[in-house]
Amino acid sequence: MNALLSFRDVSFGYDELDVIQSASFDLQAGDCTALIGPNGAGKTTMLRLAAGTLRCGSGNVLLNGESLDTLAIRKVARTVALVPQQLDVPFQFTVREVVEQGRTPYLGFLRGLMSEDRMAVDRALDLADLTGLQKRIFNELSGGERQRVKIALGLAQEPKLLLLDEPTQNLDIGRQVELIDLLHFLHEEGITIFASIHDLQLVEGNFSSVLLLSPDTPLMRGTAEEILKPSILEKAFNCPPRRHPLLLERIQRYERRAG
Amino acid sequence: MSPLASAPESPKGQAPETRARDEHLPKGRVGFVTLILLLTVTLVAVVLFSVATGAVRIAPEAILAALLGHHPLTSTQQTILLQIRLPRVLASGVVGAALAISGLMFQGLFRNPMADPYVIGSSGGAVLGACIGIFFFSQFSIYGFSATALLAFAGSVITMAIVYSLARSSGRTNIITLLLAGFAVSTMLGYSSYFFEAFDSSSGSNHLILLSWLHGVIGIPRWTQLSVSATFLLTAAVLAMPLMRRLNTLALGDEYAHQLGLRVEYTRIGIILAGSLLTAVAVSLGGLISFAGLIVPHVARLLLGPDHVRLLPVTALSGAIFLVVADTLARSLFAPTEIPVGILMAFLGGPFFLYLLRQSKRSYVL
Repeated sequence: MNALLSFRDVSFGYDELDVIQSASFDLQAGDCTALIGPNGAGKTTMLRLAAGTLRCGSGNVLLNGESLDTLAIRKVARTVALVPQQLDVPFQFTVREVVEQGRTPYLGFLRGLMSEDRMAVDRALDLADLTGLQKRIFNELSGGERQRVKIALGLAQEPKLLLLDEPTQNLDIGRQVELIDLLHFLHEEGITIFASIHDLQLVEGNFSSVLLLSPDTPLMRGTAEEILKPSILEKAFNCPPRRHPLLLERIQRYERRAG
Repeated sequence: MSPLASAPESPKGQAPETRARDEHLPKGRVGFVTLILLLTVTLVAVVLFSVATGAVRIAPEAILAALLGHHPLTSTQQTILLQIRLPRVLASGVVGAALAISGLMFQGLFRNPMADPYVIGSSGGAVLGACIGIFFFSQFSIYGFSATALLAFAGSVITMAIVYSLARSSGRTNIITLLLAGFAVSTMLGYSSYFFEAFDSSSGSNHLILLSWLHGVIGIPRWTQLSVSATFLLTAAVLAMPLMRRLNTLALGDEYAHQLGLRVEYTRIGIILAGSLLTAVAVSLGGLISFAGLIVPHVARLLLGPDHVRLLPVTALSGAIFLVVADTLARSLFAPTEIPVGILMAFLGGPFFLYLLRQSKRSYVL
């Protein structure tokens, strides 16, 4: 059986600058994978390549074994939803009106929303716990609420694969926990999760596998336990080992275990 | 089977479309169907009142009675109504609707409530086209359309394309670049009229035609011209219909729209074509009329919310009402002196727009 998402020797650069160099990995249906790496390593780029909003320079991105280059973008949008970091809405759209846009890949040339689309929107709002906020104006929401609206918008696409670009960014610790719980819930519902996560403390215990993208190390894939080792993190993030509490704590843990 | 399909069953017997939608209205917004009915009745009343107004007053009741088949009007009255007033009133309705819809489309396309067909440059192109028509091809016409109208159309379409491509870089449209590019191109081309005037040999008659065109005067069109314009308006409005939902998607930004399976470039081109067609219809009937394309979609959005699908018919009707009223005022306020409706709009529209800007400045942090 084909993997849900496969990168085959994918390279991508903006102008002269190579961001991703021959990356290869598979995401199986049911995975819950965190994408980690230093700033500027190309995490957002990788998610955009996976969603098809960027075309890779060389190599191939496959969705269920089919190249994204040959798939119609509407078809891709029914399988993959990307939740970007930023959503700016210029007009006073309500939460519901924003989430309804997630039905775009299902609408025909002239057809508007039908009852099944409204049901999908209701479900997406319900899953993201936004039913009570649906009449509110998107621009008037807090950061945590906006994050949930973006996820609901992705869920209205009824995707098999949900890509999230730093979903916990700018959230307070309470909202971070809420968001991680939401991701767990969606994962249990059968949606494959692939999320770039800036805060490494949130990775352990919450994701079944970790993909490490760094210009200083080869692309690495493993469990949180395997990847979040001080020796690897030190090199990948170019961080002196005893200068950051996260690394320090891990080094001490390893030392305790060894001693 | 999608994992989401396990959610609760839908209730049997769906509520009608409008009910289902109105339940989700936030505070301060009005129902769609109510508004459409209200606007339609208002438009009919305003047209009736407008054709009744003029040097020879014909009571609206008399016109209604004649329409219903009682008490026919005198032949003088009929001539005044059918050959003079009705074409003009209908023309102002067409111009108002066209400007309002194109304003709506450009605001949606550029994700900017301050955009209107003129602000972003099409007026400059239209001026250049109209000048070429007035000064070189004044005898030429097809179906009642002068070369002025046709070249104004071409000018506005070409300018829009130029401004759009200038403002795009690496797949994104920068709003500030766009407004600056539109301003620069529009100003540059707009002043071309002085060049034509300077080398004009018609001893001033072309100058007067041009002046009235620049100030925005809705003349008395021939019925053929009116019907062609109305056909263009309807064609563009029908073309616009499937684009309206896509404008909602585009409001989320290019990348989001692409991610949602929208062909962003095709959609853009469709919107620019339909919007330019509408601008050109307005320009060919009434010259340059400012503010209608800016204010009408703005007010409609305040009442109804930003959903372009529902805004399309509401802005079309409101635009028509707005301009019929404005043109009636323009020809009757200082009768028998007539002031160009474009100037009236600037006087009424400017302060109103500033008022709106102060009221809603909180909402438009770009």
